[in-house]
Amino acid sequence: MSGRRAPLAVLAIGVLTAATLTVVASSDRVPTATAATSTFTPSADTYVDNSATGTNHGTSGQLGVDGSPTKRMFLKFTVSGVSGTVSSAKLRVHTDDVSGANSPAGGAFRAMTNTTWSETAVTWNNQPAVDGATLGTLGSVARNAWYEVDVTSHVAGNGTFSFGVTSTNGDGADYDSRETGATAPQLLVTTGTTPTTTTTQPPSGDPVLVGAGDISNSGSGDSATAALLDNIPGTVFTTGDNVYNDGTAAEFTNYYNPTWGRHKARTRPSPGNHDYHTSGATGYYDYFGSLAGPSGQGYYSYDLGNWHIVSLNSNISMAAGSAQEQWLRADLAANTKPCTAAYWHHPLFTSGANHAPSTATRPLFQALYDNNADLVLFGHNHQYERFAPQNPSGGLDTTRGIRTFVAGMGGASHYGFGTIRANSEVRNSDTYGVLKLTLHSNSFDWQFVPEAGKTFTDSGTTACH
Amino acid sequence: MTTRTRLLITALVAVLLGVVAVGYTALSASDDSDDPGEVASSSTVSGPRLMVLSNGRLSTVSRSDPGGPREVTEQRCDRVYSAAGTTSCLRPVGAFKAGELAVLDATFREVRTVPLTGFPNRTRVSPSGRMVAWTLFVDGHSYAANGFSTSTGILDAKTDTLVTSLEEFTSSVDGTVTTAVDRNFWGVTFTSDDNRFYATMSTGGHRYLMEGDFAARTLRSIAKNVECPSLSPDGKRIAYKMAINNDPQQGWRLSTMDLATRAATPLAETRSVDDQPTWLDQQTIAYSIQRSDGVNDIWTVPADGTGSPAVLVPEANSPAPIG
Repeated sequence: MSGRRAPLAVLAIGVLTAATLTVVASSDRVPTATAATSTFTPSADTYVDNSATGTNHGTSGQLGVDGSPTKRMFLKFTVSGVSGTVSSAKLRVHTDDVSGANSPAGGAFRAMTNTTWSETAVTWNNQPAVDGATLGTLGSVARNAWYEVDVTSHVAGNGTFSFGVTSTNGDGADYDSRETGATAPQLLVTTGTTPTTTTTQPPSGDPVLVGAGDISNSGSGDSATAALLDNIPGTVFTTGDNVYNDGTAAEFTNYYNPTWGRHKARTRPSPGNHDYHTSGATGYYDYFGSLAGPSGQGYYSYDLGNWHIVSLNSNISMAAGSAQEQWLRADLAANTKPCTAAYWHHPLFTSGANHAPSTATRPLFQALYDNNADLVLFGHNHQYERFAPQNPSGGLDTTRGIRTFVAGMGGASHYGFGTIRANSEVRNSDTYGVLKLTLHSNSFDWQFVPEAGKTFTDSGTTACH
Repeated sequence: MTTRTRLLITALVAVLLGVVAVGYTALSASDDSDDPGEVASSSTVSGPRLMVLSNGRLSTVSRSDPGGPREVTEQRCDRVYSAAGTTSCLRPVGAFKAGELAVLDATFREVRTVPLTGFPNRTRVSPSGRMVAWTLFVDGHSYAANGFSTSTGILDAKTDTLVTSLEEFTSSVDGTVTTAVDRNFWGVTFTSDDNRFYATMSTGGHRYLMEGDFAARTLRSIAKNVECPSLSPDGKRIAYKMAINNDPQQGWRLSTMDLATRAATPLAETRSVDDQPTWLDQQTIAYSIQRSDGVNDIWTVPADGTGSPAVLVPEANSPAPIG
């Protein structure tokens, strides 16, 4: 793999580095008229060292890779805002400008599955597995120089990508970390080499499912998110706590109806604990009528395009063998659509500081997992959080795992986060918004659409199983 | 961060500013070795330390280089505090198990646990290491946008006396005993006598500073609009969060109060602080502020209202000064 490496420059004076890089970047390939290259710096980078097994080096200015003592480097990049097919992705690292940073072996650069490790918590003892394909290997590296590895096979588009670097050579190499600024590692992503008139993506015609949970109270957050719905066609979902504080008919009339109620006719809701503050959630069932499924039951399903959608009720029994769980299994068994999504209020996976994961919901998640479902949406914690595909135990599962979101940013205040859980990929606690899902025939796109005046967003695509 | 790394960064900045390479070489050559990584990797956290959490892992950093290398243990806590060799660790609620209080010894080994129901929020240890207190959010109550329920308890590790809820104690507000069902307690801080303590009690829309007597099982109000008190090392002041305009919906101003005069001093931190602050010494208050993506940083600000906030430990929370 050493043929992939390409030392770009060996510079005695660092001030020339940036300019030289620019030249290299624009001369080592022939870009087409529409090619666009975006440069990303790491969202996290650190190294671990088996001679200090409990020490974290996340704030260090250097990254070490070595065979003795064994040091491994970890790099993580969040790629966002690129559109079109990735034609090239290159990882660039810069060696320290100190004696000994040079090495006869610059290390093996490998893909990693784990993208949720924390820069300030990784140690030798708890390091994530370097478990993916070898993307490239650097041979001899000089001090104070840039090196490049082709990582196109690992960087498919927008998303978070981890790299692990290992070496068996006892003479290690030292690179500059993101803390150094100008010589921080870089990921260069080039896209869009086919200029055609269809690059401006027309409306696909695929169905849209859009919504949030934890929505309406006397404040103005629900007005801000309802204004987003005014411009997004499709079916509206809710992940519970449609009104505060008590799910009364008056609250539906005064808070929900003037805002999200504008889209009631296309809404398929689910109930939350606050809806159940009114006995039997009668305010909820009376307001939504048949849109909420059989009155008083709170669980039902429907189809959108190639998708089967299930709205469930986490305020009643969800135990294995319960009426709801048995209904869900029968409903999923009868489903012929290739993709399946579900939503309910209480999250099985969340890092929120106010509500712990609701283990009582696990039998529902298990039934969905057993039937190869693709997507589950929650609310309850007033924030946005995206998790990687997981199995019902919360383990990363890139084969059959279900991607989950907490979409509790519908308008009724914000909560903070506690300890960030494994496989949590993106979080936000200061922006109201809606989650827009475009349901393709064999995949879905997600997009966090922020309230007016805010900039947080999050988007991506996941294939159906 | 080692001296060498600091020099490296300094040197890089210098190079970018166009300083000639000669000066850089002289600077960086000061402590080179053949394997420059060994300098950093052999660093251990020694001397006066701070205990912190690194996203739920109990860690320690040096007081003299709090942003540098940190020792990260295998102990998982959602909130932690430590004094005199006793560490209180509120275990996370797992996917399959409820939470608990774990009491750790000076080497961070677990010496006892107390099963708890709820979501970890605050914990404290008395200066002697004998008394341990905790606060959890309790689910299943009225969780409104403007309300919540808490559960606060105290363990006397010497006598093994366990008070699972301060609601068991007799509470009085302005001299009148109250048995209101809406009482909630949070944020205990202990005095040095291992009996008296301070905490917040909420009832009827007010948040009181309560002075407690563990042996007598009593609590009495001594001030209003005080949350999450933290007693100074000399026992004469508290640091706390004060609801802005007496309305928690507007956020909290980090403040200190002289217990003798009840005079309150708002500190120079003007962002809302939702934390039980910690005294690093008689002059310095430490607290966490969370970024919008859930990552916390530990900040400090002078205790007398002067100065300005500064980051002490990036990407960490729940600070406690230890030896």
